[in-house]
Amino acid sequence: MREITLTVNGERRKAMVKDNELLLDVLRDKLYVKSVKAACWRGECGLCTVLMNDRLVKSCLVLAVEADGAEILTAEGLVKDGEPSPIQKAFIEKGALQCGFCTPAFVISSHKLLTMNPNPSDEEIRSFLSGLICRCGTYNQIIEAIRGAQKAYASR
Amino acid sequence: MSFGSPWFTLPEFTYHKPKTLKEALELLDKYGEEAKVMAGGVGLLAFMKERLMAPSHVIDLKGVPELGQAIYKEGEGLTIGATVTLNELARYGPLKKFGALHDAVRDIADPIIRNRATLVGNLCEAIPWVDTPPALIALGAEVEIRSLKGERRVPVKDFIKGPVEIDLEPGELVTAVHVPEPRRNSRSRFIKYNTGSEFALVSVAANVVMDGGRVRDVSLVYGAVSSTPQVAVKAADALKSAEKPWEVLDEVGRIASEEVEAVSDVLASEEYRRHLIRVLTLRVLREVMG
Repeated sequence: MREITLTVNGERRKAMVKDNELLLDVLRDKLYVKSVKAACWRGECGLCTVLMNDRLVKSCLVLAVEADGAEILTAEGLVKDGEPSPIQKAFIEKGALQCGFCTPAFVISSHKLLTMNPNPSDEEIRSFLSGLICRCGTYNQIIEAIRGAQKAYASR
Repeated sequence: MSFGSPWFTLPEFTYHKPKTLKEALELLDKYGEEAKVMAGGVGLLAFMKERLMAPSHVIDLKGVPELGQAIYKEGEGLTIGATVTLNELARYGPLKKFGALHDAVRDIADPIIRNRATLVGNLCEAIPWVDTPPALIALGAEVEIRSLKGERRVPVKDFIKGPVEIDLEPGELVTAVHVPEPRRNSRSRFIKYNTGSEFALVSVAANVVMDGGRVRDVSLVYGAVSSTPQVAVKAADALKSAEKPWEVLDEVGRIASEEVEAVSDVLASEEYRRHLIRVLTLRVLREVMG
């Protein structure tokens, strides 16, 4: 076991981890960041996606020890003073979810996309999000949600 | 929660993160076959979850600065370090000079995976259906290998010995892949047939050197058709010897589809693969000769 330090959604957190533990499991089970979903554990569904040092990664493919010292941002971290961020509001307004299980991963990934490019084409959105799976099939509504939040990112 | 199933957990190992190449090579020398190196970890962690690999020591290369660089030198070519991710490489301007590789690295798996996955890792997996080996072979790339004993270079074509089998001894480390400067009047492309972010059923890389209206030299390399990348020698000869190469493309595609080794598996039958080889050969040659 060794101690790692992560900055999770702006807060410094410490955890004791084994070398073979995945960042996904440490985030969920030791730091209780429950928006990070565990579904396939093999990098296919993308629902454990987080921003690590401002880069999107699937946390089931990252060792917790590798992330020592890293900054992690998840959907929880987008909420400011109890107020959902523009992209989160847009997901609700456009009904870009059905069961909601994939929503945090799509939210954090859409946030990253709009931060880099506030005016992506439909094709750029589809390509950027192609590593995430929504089994309810709300892909078109997700694109609408991204369109709905665009303005807020353009003016940042 | 991991349910105790091998799909969700990793076997136990000790994690090492050396800060210099020397330190990395010493660790590799010390632990030999007990050790596996990790760059992006995409392939390694998947293999370990399935218990196809269970190294006692995992050596993370991301702390070694010189392995994280892609360097292009005019006239010499492009050297891509072991921990350069596919996305970092795709954004590196000079990559455009290496058309086939440029095509291949931008379309592997998905963009989030490409934030972690590396070119060297993709190559060293040597899984028959990965995309970069055909492109690298068509471009005449070489693998740079270091150990405490010294260094050697091996053409990518010889480096891949079989499915998941590479020319690498315990204690040796692939530090980089070197792609030579493209020849004058040459052009290369890579295309694959797949759906979404799935693995290719057939991929092909072509690298041609044009000389007026004729093809002076051409390399045709196929991926995902058999256990290792396949080079179509007879098809290339037919194209080179043609006085009017544009008129023999159908024939070249047919020769390639008959010449290379192709297998049936769960993804596609041999017959279907040979059909795809013929069609993709035609398409890729139209692109590079146009």
